[in-house]
Amino acid sequence: MAFEIGIMTFGEVTEDPTTGRLPSPRQRVRETIEQAKVADEAGLDVFGVGEHHRSDFVGSAPTILLAAVAEATERIRLTSSVTVLGSEDPVRVWQQFATIDLLSHGRAEIIAGRGSYTESFPLFGYDLQDYADLFREKLDLLLKIREQNPLTWSGHFRAPLVDADIAPRADGDTIPIWVGVGGSAASAISTGRLGLPMAMALLLGPLTFHEQTIELYRASAEQAGHDTRALPVSINTHGYVGRTSQQARDVMYPYFAKGMAENNHQRGRGVRLPRTFFDAQASPGSGLLAGSSQEVVDKLLAYHELYGISRAIIQMGFGGMPQKEHLEAIERLGTEVAPVVRQEVATRQEVAA
Amino acid sequence: MTVTTPPVVDAGPDTPTAGATLRVVVVNGSPSRQSKTLGLVDVVLDTLGRMLPVEASQVDVYRLGPGFTGALERDDVTPDVDAMLRLAEDADLLIAAAPVYRGSYPGMFKHFFDLIDQYALANKLVLLAATGGGEHHALVLEHAMRPLFAFFQALTVPVAIFASAGDFDGVTLLNPRVYGRIEMGLTDVVDLLTSRATGVRATADS
Repeated sequence: MAFEIGIMTFGEVTEDPTTGRLPSPRQRVRETIEQAKVADEAGLDVFGVGEHHRSDFVGSAPTILLAAVAEATERIRLTSSVTVLGSEDPVRVWQQFATIDLLSHGRAEIIAGRGSYTESFPLFGYDLQDYADLFREKLDLLLKIREQNPLTWSGHFRAPLVDADIAPRADGDTIPIWVGVGGSAASAISTGRLGLPMAMALLLGPLTFHEQTIELYRASAEQAGHDTRALPVSINTHGYVGRTSQQARDVMYPYFAKGMAENNHQRGRGVRLPRTFFDAQASPGSGLLAGSSQEVVDKLLAYHELYGISRAIIQMGFGGMPQKEHLEAIERLGTEVAPVVRQEVATRQEVAA
Repeated sequence: MTVTTPPVVDAGPDTPTAGATLRVVVVNGSPSRQSKTLGLVDVVLDTLGRMLPVEASQVDVYRLGPGFTGALERDDVTPDVDAMLRLAEDADLLIAAAPVYRGSYPGMFKHFFDLIDQYALANKLVLLAATGGGEHHALVLEHAMRPLFAFFQALTVPVAIFASAGDFDGVTLLNPRVYGRIEMGLTDVVDLLTSRATGVRATADS
């Protein structure tokens, strides 16, 4: 498996902590398209848009942003990161991604997730009590839709489909469907049983934090009779590629701290991340992909060795990183990091073969 | 109301055929009708059923109603609640299962045991099981539940069983490590369980 490197965004609409300026949603959607364009030109493999239903993100409808990105780019693969499948209609999800696939000549992908934010459930009339059952059933339907058309299917949470013609079909044979896993043992196990690619969302903590998740995923896949060597695993994580080690940390810190304060609450209030804690997260033993190009190369290779991943999607704009700095980091990731990591992983695979 | 399941769990090719049936009573401290706590108990009962003949009943403390919640002492309970208390007092194996609430077992669960006769559980086999939102709750078994049964001078099974929310898909336990721990905990005491079984031996056609 060739190693793939990409970026993702939630389309943050966050006040810049250094200038106090709040970008407009109009500005952020244009910037999101521009990020994808730069990523495509820099040779990155994947561009992802996450789904959040709040005023501080413009990513409520990732498929529409991805459709616009499809028109602005040539080669880069386009994925949701993630589609909150439990509160979606899988028929609609398929139709939208199949359309993106047609628009982009087969570049569409789906990461189906349970969602770490829960706003979409009341918005679309779902009960959070059904969180696990909703996801299980809707994933089953989405996979069936991918598998066959017309389709007859019935479940608990939507009207049955009787010989339903679900169109359009994908541009090529199929659309890759990954499952987003936040690190819980049960998610990893059910994804492994289904033999689906796993997109692991990492936040902070030691590099080795998710060894057990990966282990359980591969063990349950193997037990269910799937070829684990053919199963791709990716990490989705925060990071920033800077000009130097110090510059990367200095640029990323205020925005990342701001994003964390707004999204990571304890006792109902945002927690401000101390700089020392942030610097520790960026150190070689920890998971954050922040640093110079060489540091990020080293850490991606460490992840590859540890977890056997074949893809990394990095979120570099969390907390409202200004567009200029964001684009510079995308450029570096594409031109200085990705080629080295791809080459090194290919060499490792040749040696192993 | 209380749910008392009919005799269940045996069969299976490797089920021992000799010996009496182990009468297991689950005291379920979860308020939810479908719960992770019961998901965990299901796996325990299934594992037990593969080791020896088992007859399981269940007391849902949150479904016992005002005849239970309104009782300050044992004398205050209604006859149906008294029957449930006696069921627990007479079990061969008691499974005490509860979710972590505000740092401990829920108040209703404790209320049930507050009404249990002081010496009724002496030397009784008790298996402790708990579920919590995260691993940081795991010691509820040792710091809250085991001392409660130490008061009763019960014979608690050395290995207690804990599972976190992340080990479940909905209410189905998936983490093999927890399965392994259940297997180990029960294997430790299987001889004791067999010798304590007092139920009528299940007939072939039952």
